[in-house]
Amino acid sequence: MIFETILSGASLFFSLDAILLTMFGCFMGIIIGVLPGLGPLMGLILMLPVAFYLPPVTAMGMLIAIFVGGSCGGAVSAILLRIPGTPLAAATLLDGYPMARNGRAGDAIGLAISASAVGGVLGGLVLIFFAPLLAELALKFAPPEYFALAITGLISIAVVSHEGMIKGFITGTLGLLLATVGTDPFSNAYRFTFDNHNLLSGFHIVAVVVGLFALSEMVMQIELGQLTKRPNVQKISVSLRSLGLLLRHRINLVRSSMIGTFFGSLPGAGGVISAFTAYAVAKSRPLDEKEIYGQGAEGGVVATESANNACCGGAMIPTLALAVPGDASTAVLMGALLLLGFQPGPDLFENNLDVAGGIFWAYLSANVFLFFIGILLAPVFVSVLRIQKMYLVPMILLLSVIGTYALQSSVFDLWVMLGFGVIGCVLRKLDYPIAPVVIGIILGPICENNFRRSLILSDDGAWIFWDRPIAASILAINVLVILWTLISHVRKKDAS
Amino acid sequence: MIKKLLSAAAMFGLVASMSASQPALADFPERNIQNIFPWGPGSAMAVSQIIAEAMGEELDVNISVVSTPGAAGVKAFKTAMNKPADGYTLIDGYVAPLVLQPLLGNADWTHKDFIPLHAATANAFAIVSRRDETRWKDLDGLIDYMKKNPGKLRYSTGSRGNLPHMVLAKVMQSADVVARNVPYNKNGDAIKDLHGGVLDFMFHNPGHYKANKEKSKPLAVLSDNADASAIYDGAPLVGDLGYDIGLKGLSPTGWNWWLVRKDTPPEVVAKLRDAMAKTLARDDVRQKILNVGFVPTGYTSDQYDDVISKVRDDLSSAIDALQWEKDKLKSVR
Repeated sequence: MIFETILSGASLFFSLDAILLTMFGCFMGIIIGVLPGLGPLMGLILMLPVAFYLPPVTAMGMLIAIFVGGSCGGAVSAILLRIPGTPLAAATLLDGYPMARNGRAGDAIGLAISASAVGGVLGGLVLIFFAPLLAELALKFAPPEYFALAITGLISIAVVSHEGMIKGFITGTLGLLLATVGTDPFSNAYRFTFDNHNLLSGFHIVAVVVGLFALSEMVMQIELGQLTKRPNVQKISVSLRSLGLLLRHRINLVRSSMIGTFFGSLPGAGGVISAFTAYAVAKSRPLDEKEIYGQGAEGGVVATESANNACCGGAMIPTLALAVPGDASTAVLMGALLLLGFQPGPDLFENNLDVAGGIFWAYLSANVFLFFIGILLAPVFVSVLRIQKMYLVPMILLLSVIGTYALQSSVFDLWVMLGFGVIGCVLRKLDYPIAPVVIGIILGPICENNFRRSLILSDDGAWIFWDRPIAASILAINVLVILWTLISHVRKKDAS
Repeated sequence: MIKKLLSAAAMFGLVASMSASQPALADFPERNIQNIFPWGPGSAMAVSQIIAEAMGEELDVNISVVSTPGAAGVKAFKTAMNKPADGYTLIDGYVAPLVLQPLLGNADWTHKDFIPLHAATANAFAIVSRRDETRWKDLDGLIDYMKKNPGKLRYSTGSRGNLPHMVLAKVMQSADVVARNVPYNKNGDAIKDLHGGVLDFMFHNPGHYKANKEKSKPLAVLSDNADASAIYDGAPLVGDLGYDIGLKGLSPTGWNWWLVRKDTPPEVVAKLRDAMAKTLARDDVRQKILNVGFVPTGYTSDQYDDVISKVRDDLSSAIDALQWEKDKLKSVR
């Protein structure tokens, strides 16, 4: 069945049009991902009307390539400017930006691109060979398991908060509180909306991320001065060398890719959790003692980027196998498939095996193209570092405004961006980490909704979390991790 | 410096609002049009995109479908109502935000606050359980099981207080049985949990059913339209099984009209209306919509008030089912 799918799909995908448009999609995706605010979702929405006029596999190839390229592109601005182009790249800046500051911008981008590409290919292979198995596994993950996983994600705050664990939990809690704004799906009550319809679905995560990271960073750059100074940046060439660097982290690469694929295959879990979880795991198992996370560890970039892009392949699994989209981007991909006249789900494998196979090829090829296009474009991206701040800062502010406004054509989102820019500045001035705010806002609804949903589903209250073996195991591991973190924290304190 | 940033942002807001409030010009449309869609991406959005794409061809501009989910569609309506009434913002008027939410006291408009362009589509709902379900074979079996196990079964209608919730609550009220409604942000997640054995039954629209035929078994179609049964492979209509839910015609089904704000210039409305009518008359468009499992309803703008008023009356008499469900659940616990 698997080989039949692959063989029948090859004839549909391997045409000049499909290959060229997949390459074009990849290029577009990277560019869109680099720009603050514009992520893969925006790229897909922009290019969807074009897809109507293309043959099905060609159209899906282009769209999937935008999804893949966009998921990686955000890393470039995170590394160079400390501004995640997309929320997916919020974890990448933790070590990517310090690498760039240490004069290793080219290596960081090269690693990010190759880790994304290889992670994507690994995720794609899992998609092809294990989609039915993972789809069955996803069915075993119900609200109690999602709640337990969300707790795991929240624990990662302790790991990513290089400024201090307590400070991290404080800003993480701020994120959780901000996540309560909007309509409560259980009672339809409006929470903290202050009669403002713009708040009915809470704060838009992209406006929050752009405000927290991009605006605060620009303010910091202006404060540092030297606006007219031409930065002295060496000419950087990114080459296949990055693959060599990547191979040093092969265990981290495979492990993080599997984490990404796993989280991707669970609808609603998402790339952001996978990136932070992969980062937390990588940090707990550094390559050697010289690799210090938070100060430019290559492993940090490898973990987050491979998990991010492997997550794309993972998210395609429930989309194609169960017709349940893994996230908003795959929901648009599923809509595109419907518009092109194909029904995602078991029906696709039953009646349109060649199209399913073509989509597999498109996904794998998009990741291969990502590597070559990314490596070719990297010197262009790195040249951004040579732009004087007096030009760079207004350009980034303008792009941030355009990207955020384009989300919903909403001026309110600009105010949200501005507000979070102020919050970002204050937190950074006080040396509080800002990544936990993003983790809190993303995980808050997953945590709360699945906790409440579990209690409605349960016949005997909170025992549902122990009655279900997977949820109980994850929660038990969470308790052990918390205890281990606390004990090592106390020991460190005693030692110092 | 912060002050400068604030003034720049305020300036941007001012420019954006000024440009948005320019009056409609005679040679409408001169720029792209937005359709404010009240749900997240999925099969319903795909259908709106089919119509938007074809209608854009008729008008020679691009019509983008902007997903604006939140508060059971209320956010999309409020967002659209805050845009100028110049025809460049269309409202994808689904029954939940147009009729049901005002009835529930969550919105302060009526259908008369909008001008209809044309009815778009309808989609009948069905009650489904898993194909491999062994506890019951049909709706009667499910009802019997619920009678023996009051309040024990778990079902979902996606979000709470929406039309499928009201219709399913009405079915249960008519049979005097009750189950626990579990809300989900996305219908897809509920379908996954149905197939995973966490939920016992749920609602499907035609798009859900087409994608999940192998695993979902329709027990009854929640409509009195015999054609709706064919969409669900001949599943019986709920009325034919002896359950009177008191809802006829469009009332128990999901449907949408495309609307504009009340004060939109008549010549703009006429142009949009004509383009939408031409779009929905096109065979290729109708076929694409049918392929997703939705049905073009064919109602024209002059039927708007009659059709919606009747639905409104039906729904207002059925709305007590939601409160009944709450009370009944309390009493069986």
